[in-house]
Amino acid sequence: MAMTQEPLPAGVSAQGGPGPYGRLAVDRGLSQALLTSANAGRSVFLQVTGEPGGVVHLVDGGVVAIETPGAPDAETVLLRSGLIPEPGWDAAFTAAAASGRLAAEIVQQGLIGAARLEAVLRIVLADAMFVLAVGRVEECHVVDAAAPSLLALEPGAEPRRLLDETSRRLQVLAAMGSQITHDRDRVTAGAWQVTSRLPLSDSQRDILALANGRRTARDMAFALGRGVFALTLEFSRLHELGLLVVGSRRGGTPAGQADRAGSPAGPNPHQAADPAAGPGKDPVSPLPRRRAPSQPGETSPARAPQAPPALLRILRRGPSGPQVPADPEEPGRTAGQDAP
Amino acid sequence: MSSLNASLDLVLDIAGVEMTALIDFATGMVVASAGENSPVLPAVAATVAYEARSAVETYEQGTSRGELDEISVTTARRFQLMKVLEYQRGEGLLLYADVDLSRTNMALAALQIEQLSSGLLAR
Repeated sequence: MAMTQEPLPAGVSAQGGPGPYGRLAVDRGLSQALLTSANAGRSVFLQVTGEPGGVVHLVDGGVVAIETPGAPDAETVLLRSGLIPEPGWDAAFTAAAASGRLAAEIVQQGLIGAARLEAVLRIVLADAMFVLAVGRVEECHVVDAAAPSLLALEPGAEPRRLLDETSRRLQVLAAMGSQITHDRDRVTAGAWQVTSRLPLSDSQRDILALANGRRTARDMAFALGRGVFALTLEFSRLHELGLLVVGSRRGGTPAGQADRAGSPAGPNPHQAADPAAGPGKDPVSPLPRRRAPSQPGETSPARAPQAPPALLRILRRGPSGPQVPADPEEPGRTAGQDAP
Repeated sequence: MSSLNASLDLVLDIAGVEMTALIDFATGMVVASAGENSPVLPAVAATVAYEARSAVETYEQGTSRGELDEISVTTARRFQLMKVLEYQRGEGLLLYADVDLSRTNMALAALQIEQLSSGLLAR
């Protein structure tokens, strides 16, 4: 693919910092392809192969839609979040079959305001660009035959602003030392017996209720109809408080082992991916094995980190509060009694 | 013109408002903006969203009563208003307006923004 060199937005080059996001950067090939197509004012598809990969729809140089399995699309966000009721959506979808203009139809039917819908589409685009740009990009192909997207943003978003936003998101995650990788780390509610006593926001309760050890931030974004980046931020905060624990890592070392090895972030998830697997063949690790009955006092690394975060220690040792069982499987142990 | 920009232009028509933006509550992203183009807007938006998230969480956690309506910052010459347009379970939108107090008074600007804000996203 012959592309002229364009100056890249700040932060596109490799960055350094703590956690997995300190080592990630917006893929240069993708940035280049996007900016070149945008500057030429082209209406094309940009096919991105890799993980998660996807298709960027450009109209007159503006990004109008992004399809990627890495982030929820507008339909998922609108329906799962309850912004649009499902029966109304079905009716609008049917009515839009002839014209192909679903966005206009749902606004016309009064299901959502045009400005609100545009805001959702812009937020969804930025989220999709984030997962696409920080993923593993193998190739970018420009395809001239562009087909219209059902829920397209009009007018399209400027690619440079989308890339700048992606860079900002990476910097935020790196600055907060996020140890959670949005598409790899499956989380479980740590110290769940304590969380019910903690003052948590509704959003945090939603996350803890779904943290069953089988969902990553990406998976939960689909389940809740929220953004992958927004949930990664929330995951990071809850992880810092010890309320969320990484149980296993997709395609890599189980997080508990990585913690003990002194490298909590583990390898760069996208660099660690097995190249022999090829595009679309994700190297998925087996589910965590059930452990043999443990010794008395021994705790699972997935359930209780080796060094409990400060908040958790304070909560367990609460100066005046009632004693809280530290582990339901160990009813004899209570708050204030550290594991031997 | 986009529907969002048309809505934000209405806020910009209020006397004293020099810049306005719609900010994503969950991520701190500038969804759309109108008025003076400031290079620090993304950083301001991220800070505003962070403050709003902290405030909303405090209210949700039951240490205070009611829902967050707005946050304002006042200096000798400026008035910055962050108004919650919509919020539900961690997701929502904030309207940010930067007002020059030499051209209006704070109460009037706040009232006019309040009057506009309820219908801003329904347009």
